Amino acid sequence: MTAELGAFALALALALSIGQTALGLFGARRPALAGAASGASLGAFLCVTAAFAALMVAFVTSDFSVANVAANSNTAKPMLYKVAGAWGSHEGSMLLWCMALTGYGAAVAAFGRDLPLALRSRVIGVQGVLGVMFLAYTVFASNPLARLLDPPVEGRSLNPLLQDPALVLHPPFLYLGYVGFSVVFSFAVAALIGGRIDAAWARWVRPWTLAAWSMLTVGITLGSFWAYYELGWGGWWFWDPVENASFMPWLIGTALLHSAVVTEKRGALSGWTLFLALAAFTFSMLGAFLVRSGVLTSVHAFAVDPTRGALLLAILGAASGAGFALFAWRAPALQPGGLFAPVSRESLIVLNNIILTAATATVLLGTLYPLIREAMDGEAVSVGPPYFNLTFTPLMAVAFLILPFGPLTAWKRGDLGAAGQRLMLAAAAAIIFALATFALVSPRKALAAAGVALGFWLVFGALAEVAERTRAFRAPAAEVWRRLVGLPRGAWGMTLAHLGLGLFTLGAVFETAWKIEAAEALSLGGRIEVGAYSLTLDSVRTGEGPNYIAERGHVTVTHGGRVICEARPERRFYPTGKQTTSEVALCNRGLDQIYIVLGERRAGEGGRPAWLVRGYFNPWVQLIFLGPLLMAVGGLVSLSDRRLRLAAGRKAA
Amino acid sequence: MFAFWIAAAALSAVVGWLMLNGARAATRFAGDDPTLAVHRRQLDEIDDLAARGLLPESEVRSARAEAGRRLLAAADTATAPESAAGRRLVLAAALIAPLLAAGAYVTVGAPGLKDQPFAARLAEWRSGDLERLDMPRLAAILRAITVERPNDAEAYYKLASVELGQGDPVAAGSALRRAVSIAPERADLWALLGESFVVQAEGRVDNDAKAAFSEALKRDATNVSARYFLSRAEIQDGRVAEGLAGWRALLTALPSAAPSEQAVRAALTAEIAAVEKAGALPTTTPAPAPQPGVPDDAAIRGMVDGLAARLETQPDDPEGWVRLVRAWAVLGETGKRDAARDRARTLFKDNPQVLQALDQAAEAPR
Repeated sequence: MTAELGAFALALALALSIGQTALGLFGARRPALAGAASGASLGAFLCVTAAFAALMVAFVTSDFSVANVAANSNTAKPMLYKVAGAWGSHEGSMLLWCMALTGYGAAVAAFGRDLPLALRSRVIGVQGVLGVMFLAYTVFASNPLARLLDPPVEGRSLNPLLQDPALVLHPPFLYLGYVGFSVVFSFAVAALIGGRIDAAWARWVRPWTLAAWSMLTVGITLGSFWAYYELGWGGWWFWDPVENASFMPWLIGTALLHSAVVTEKRGALSGWTLFLALAAFTFSMLGAFLVRSGVLTSVHAFAVDPTRGALLLAILGAASGAGFALFAWRAPALQPGGLFAPVSRESLIVLNNIILTAATATVLLGTLYPLIREAMDGEAVSVGPPYFNLTFTPLMAVAFLILPFGPLTAWKRGDLGAAGQRLMLAAAAAIIFALATFALVSPRKALAAAGVALGFWLVFGALAEVAERTRAFRAPAAEVWRRLVGLPRGAWGMTLAHLGLGLFTLGAVFETAWKIEAAEALSLGGRIEVGAYSLTLDSVRTGEGPNYIAERGHVTVTHGGRVICEARPERRFYPTGKQTTSEVALCNRGLDQIYIVLGERRAGEGGRPAWLVRGYFNPWVQLIFLGPLLMAVGGLVSLSDRRLRLAAGRKAA
Repeated sequence: MFAFWIAAAALSAVVGWLMLNGARAATRFAGDDPTLAVHRRQLDEIDDLAARGLLPESEVRSARAEAGRRLLAAADTATAPESAAGRRLVLAAALIAPLLAAGAYVTVGAPGLKDQPFAARLAEWRSGDLERLDMPRLAAILRAITVERPNDAEAYYKLASVELGQGDPVAAGSALRRAVSIAPERADLWALLGESFVVQAEGRVDNDAKAAFSEALKRDATNVSARYFLSRAEIQDGRVAEGLAGWRALLTALPSAAPSEQAVRAALTAEIAAVEKAGALPTTTPAPAPQPGVPDDAAIRGMVDGLAARLETQPDDPEGWVRLVRAWAVLGETGKRDAARDRARTLFKDNPQVLQALDQAAEAPR
């Protein structure tokens, strides 16, 4: 009964979303209807959660009469991955998407008491429209609880590459991010319907943007970390269309985060902020379409089904088409906000927005161009890292160069010279570190040293801003401490995020420029040198996991004759899907990592078995993942600022 | 079925209540416009920042003036919402939604279909007539038994036989590795492990298989399967004379009572003849010949059934068809032999080599 009740609950969620749409959109001036729309959005969330729970029960009990379970699980799979199987497939992840979508709607209903009635009602109504589209798609075209009358004895299994702890968490975070932008989209459409966009609106939008952006940051970082240690290629970002699909909404979300500040503080840029709010969710939906339409091949491409893809494209077209049409119609009538001088914090943020949008456009072009070419003349072209290195990277370098000036420049009319003076120390420190890197790190690489300068420039720039605000080194210690404690959490959030970006840059530059790679077929006792480290293959044993057979290698890593790590890379064979995966072994050395992959067995010298062992020395690689996590933490710290906490406002008022 | 609709109705009632309750609460709180509060708060924050010395004096005045202007503008446009009662509309929505849901559910759901958790299905199979179960269900039961009795080598052995029978040598191999770790003294376990490697390697006797068969012979020098495959390995590796000598010795050592062993004897005789003629292993006979009592007659048939089932789903495998035809011929199933041969003939009608191999296989001596 559980599975069928789940299916009914999903249908009920769809019906409630229809009600939520109608009541919400007509309830802008009628409190009773608006309240009922809120109730319907809570109900829809409850129902989707029930459906999700039913699906999870089916996965946990291996109920193969549920088609999705039969296709994506089997009895030998460890419990964690049985649970995660609920969102490991196309249908299940659509359900997760719907859960996030209705969840955000319910959150607006529950926490949005401080919103004006008309705005709240319309936001819930528009969120309902999105809910209707995605729930209808899930119920009628991708039902995760569809049943089989003649269930198979055993299920097929989840792709073993996806059977990994990081990947258990990656989709929920990613979806909380993607779908979080749906609220922002709904706020934009609601404001366009109402024709009122002001500082208050921007303040209400900001927490939702922050939440979605932080979640997306965590989701992308987890995905990148997974690609780093699970695929066994030693890289962490491949400019793969699927990665780009998640990166584009992030870039637009970052731009939105900044422009919303201007709208909130100065009432300016409201049209632009609206545009970005519509664009962020459009890119989220584009990502969903790319991944599910079968136009891409990757571990993410679940649905190789053109019909489903076409339906998603229709949803994308209808939702953003309507949003942007409304924008074109209503935006020209928006009241202009506060004025600002060409040199001011507003201008710098506009510059940031232009660069981020241009960067998004380059990523979009690089992602879609191969698809368009293939559709037009059937020729498979590949747009790889060289394209992005030549387009995306220089744009970002310019953005990073001007970034530290932003927080140190005044609103309205700023003084770049004064800001420059305050940043003298930071600039000097960055240059010294870069020169030291150029002189000390071999091989010598001038461009990479410039990248290092940029990274340190961001780090010291962020610190300089805190020092400036607290008058460090100028005022007495007690005064500095008082100011430091008194800094609003929003300011701390910004500092952490900018600091995280700097750390990420340092990690990315070091890893890319000074990574060392070595590979060789080793018999037992054989050795390869990876930079200053020496890797010895001591033994390889066959063992069994719950649903795989593994060759477990034991590799001793030494540095200057001293053993620093006993690594155990594995090569796993999953009989159910006849797939092989490698489990990379990582040895941490400060911020560096030694990365060891056990490859396939071959015949070595004298007929003895040998294994292809690949070793990488990845300097400062941990910063690549710690930096973005720090950015996400910054977002959450900022979110906890009492100015954004809506309940606090009620008390204050 | 009845319980399902009651639960569905209860869920509908809960969400209906949420809507009605939302409507009631909203009419109670309607009236104040929170926009003004936000603007007032912004003014307070400017004062607060100024008091803490975080905002320069010069900026305080202009920031205050601007925020004040926004407050006034918002106060001008704020309109008190009318409190019209749409109670009846809300009630109608709360009633229609479940009906709509029921309609949608009936088109996509399977009302009345029970949950079928694996544990319950397994219990049902075990309590039924085991003779009539197919291979996958039998394997599932044996797998459950090995979980219940992790130190029972015989259970793993049976599981492995069935897994081999249904064409899953990898699963058979892992069951047998467990079995030999529990009962390393049993030659038959080692021999079957070796066979699972041979099937995995698609007929080649690889190093893993050789090692397993050698272990079997260490424990039982008369093990037929181990002797057969180790000799086969010699032929495969080019030591044809030694291998043939091994097979001939095996032929004289075979007991000749049971009819199934006569079939084995015949198959081995034929294979010896084929190798003598060709001077090497014929390329179209990669499959192991059926072994006496290993695992047992039913399992041999199971293996052949498994092969037949696999060919149903993946028919593009000429060697497989040749193997199947020979297997039915050896087992004396002339009807099935001819059916398989005819099927394969139509599939590979353009390939004279395959057609010839099929005919040879069908004439395998009984």
